[in-house]
Amino acid sequence: MSEPSPVLDAAGRRHSDVAAAAVVLALAAAAFAVTFTFEEVPAALMQGLGAEIFPRLVLLVIGLLALVLAYQARHRAPEASEPMPPMVYSTAAAMIAFFVGVWLVGMLASMFVFMVGVGRMWGEKRLVRLVMAAALLCLAIWLVFVKLFGVALPHSVLSERIV
Amino acid sequence: MDAFLGGMAILVDPYILGMIVAGTVLGVLVGALPGISGSTTTALLLPFTITMTPTAAIAFLGAIYCAANYGGSITAILVNTPGDPSASATAFDGYPMAQKGEAGRALGMSAFASTLGGIFSVFVLIVAAPLLSRVAYNFGPPEYFALAIFGLSMVAAIGGDSAVKNLISGAFGVLLATVGLDLTTGVERFTFGVYELSDGIGLVPVLIGVFAISELLLQATQLHVVATMLKLDAVRLPSLADFRKCAKSIALSSGLGTFIGILPALGATTAALVAYNETKRWSSHPEEFGKGAIEGVAGPEAANNAAVGGAMVPTLALGIPGSSTTAIILVGLIVQGVRPGPHLFNEQPQLLYAVFASMLAANLLYLAMGLFAAKLFARISLIPSAYLWPAVFVLSVIGAYGPNQSMIDVGIMLAAGVFGFIFRRFGFSPAPLIMGLVLGTMAEETLKQSLIIFDHDWLRFFSRPIVVSLFAVTLAGFLSPVVMKIWRSWRAAA
Repeated sequence: MSEPSPVLDAAGRRHSDVAAAAVVLALAAAAFAVTFTFEEVPAALMQGLGAEIFPRLVLLVIGLLALVLAYQARHRAPEASEPMPPMVYSTAAAMIAFFVGVWLVGMLASMFVFMVGVGRMWGEKRLVRLVMAAALLCLAIWLVFVKLFGVALPHSVLSERIV
Repeated sequence: MDAFLGGMAILVDPYILGMIVAGTVLGVLVGALPGISGSTTTALLLPFTITMTPTAAIAFLGAIYCAANYGGSITAILVNTPGDPSASATAFDGYPMAQKGEAGRALGMSAFASTLGGIFSVFVLIVAAPLLSRVAYNFGPPEYFALAIFGLSMVAAIGGDSAVKNLISGAFGVLLATVGLDLTTGVERFTFGVYELSDGIGLVPVLIGVFAISELLLQATQLHVVATMLKLDAVRLPSLADFRKCAKSIALSSGLGTFIGILPALGATTAALVAYNETKRWSSHPEEFGKGAIEGVAGPEAANNAAVGGAMVPTLALGIPGSSTTAIILVGLIVQGVRPGPHLFNEQPQLLYAVFASMLAANLLYLAMGLFAAKLFARISLIPSAYLWPAVFVLSVIGAYGPNQSMIDVGIMLAAGVFGFIFRRFGFSPAPLIMGLVLGTMAEETLKQSLIIFDHDWLRFFSRPIVVSLFAVTLAGFLSPVVMKIWRSWRAAA
C-alpha cells in the first residue's frame, strides 16, 4: 500500500488552485472557440487588427496564466475548505426569485418581499419591525426614484392583466 | 488663476457644498460599516450621480472616497473589524489601545493623522497632476498603449495575495471590455445575439455586482459573526506629547502613502500596510507595536488617506486609475461625458480645481465629524445584517436599473455578483477585474491606432523612448520577484 501523496488529501483531491486553473483554462478555451464564430470582414474593407485578434491575445494570456497557477499549486497540499453554508444558496435563490417576482408582481412589491423574506431567513425574528423597515425603504425608493427622478419601474404581468 | 479661483468657488456654492457634506457623511458612515468599503459605496452610488452636474458628481464621489478611508478606522479601533480594507493595519494597535481604555485617544489621533495625510496628498495632487499631464500631453496612442499595459501589470499587486490570480482576474476584465461591437470593423463580439450587449457590458451593473452583490453573498457565510463594541466615553484630542511621538510616522507615512497611491493600481490598503511596517521599523520602540502603540495608528491612517490624493494623480492626469475606487470615479466621469487625461487640464481646468477643493473640504469635514460624532458613527457597525444587506440589495437593483431602465442590466448585475462571489471563494479579487474592464478598452483602442500609425510593424513600438521605458518598467515588475528568488537561493547556497 503506497503512502498518500502530500499534494493529495484523503479524498484524492488536489489544491483548489489546480481546480481553479482548470476552470479558467476551460472558460478561456470556450471563449477562444467563440471567437471563430465572429462575422468575417471582407479583406477590402479590413482596416487594422481584425475583431477577433485582441480577444484571442487576451485569452492566450489567460490560458498561460492558468497554466502558471496550476504549476505553482502542483506541490501545495490541499487546504481544508469550508463547505458552502446553505444560506448562500438560499440567498442566491431569493435573488433569482426576486428577478421572477419583478416580472410577476412588479419591482417595488418584489423588493418588499425580498427584504422581509431574506431578513427573516438571516435571523430577524421581529417581524413587525422588519415589515416596517422594508415598507419605509420601498416608500423612500418610490418617492426618490419614481416621483423625483421620474424612473419608470418595470410593469408586472399581474398589473397589465388587471389594467 | 481664474480657473483656480473658479474651482475654489465651489466651496461657496450651497448645492456643491451640500454634495460634499453628504458625500463625507456617507463616506464615514459606510467606511465604518464592515463589508461595505469605499469602492462598494462609490459603485453603489455611481448611478445616482448621473443626474448631477459633472462638478457635483465628482465632488460627491471624491468626498466619499476621502471619508471612507477614515471611517474604516472607527470600527477597526472599537470593534477590531476594519470597516474598510485600508483600515486593517489600524486595527493592529488601535484595538489594543481601545482594550486599554484609550479608544478616545486612538480615534483622536486617527482623525488628525488621516486629515494631515489627506491634505498633504491633495497638495501633492495640485502640484503633480498638472506636471504629469504636461509630460503626457504629447503622448500618442503607442505611449497610451504602453501605459495601459503598465497599469494592467500593476494589478498583480492589488486585491488578493496571489499575483497570478490577480493577473487572471485583470485579464478577465480586459476580456469583458471586448464584449459588444468592435469599433473599427463593426463586428459583434461575445453578444450571443443579445441586442442590449451590442454597446458592450455596462460598467455600472458590473461594478455594483462584483462589489455589492458578491459581498452580500459573502456576508451570508458570516452570519454567525456578531460585532461587539468596546466602551468609548469621548474622543480625545491627542496631546502635544502624542503629536511629538507621532510626527515622524505621520510625515513618513504621508509621503509613502502618496507615492504608493500615485502608482497605478496600488491603493490605500497597500499604502497602510507598508506604512505600518515602515513606522515600526523606524520607531525607537518597535516592541510596543501590536500592543497599543499610538504611532501604529497614526502611520497607517496618514498613509491610507494620503493614498487617496496620490491615486487621483494618474486618474486625472493620464486617465489611468490609481486604485479600484478611482477606477469607479473614472467611470463616473466618463458617464458624465468627461474623459480624464492631459487634455482635461487645458479644456476644463475649473473642474479639476473643483476636485481639489472638494477633497480639501472633505478632509477637514471628516476631522470635525471624527472628533464630534465618532461614537455615533461607530454604532452604525451594530446594524443587524438582516436589515443592512437586503437593503443593500434593493439599492443595488435600483442602481443598476436606473441609468438605462433595463432589467437586462439588473440581470448583468446579478450574474456579475454571483461570478464575483465564486471568484472570491477561489481567492480571486474583484478589484483587478474592474481595473481590467476600465483599462481594457483603452488598451485595445490604442493598440489598434498604434498599429495603423506603424503600418502594422510591431517592432516600431520600440522606436519610441517612452514606450520602451514603460515596457522596461513593466517587464522589471514581472521579473523582479523571480530574480529576487534566484538571488536569495544563490545567496543561501553560497
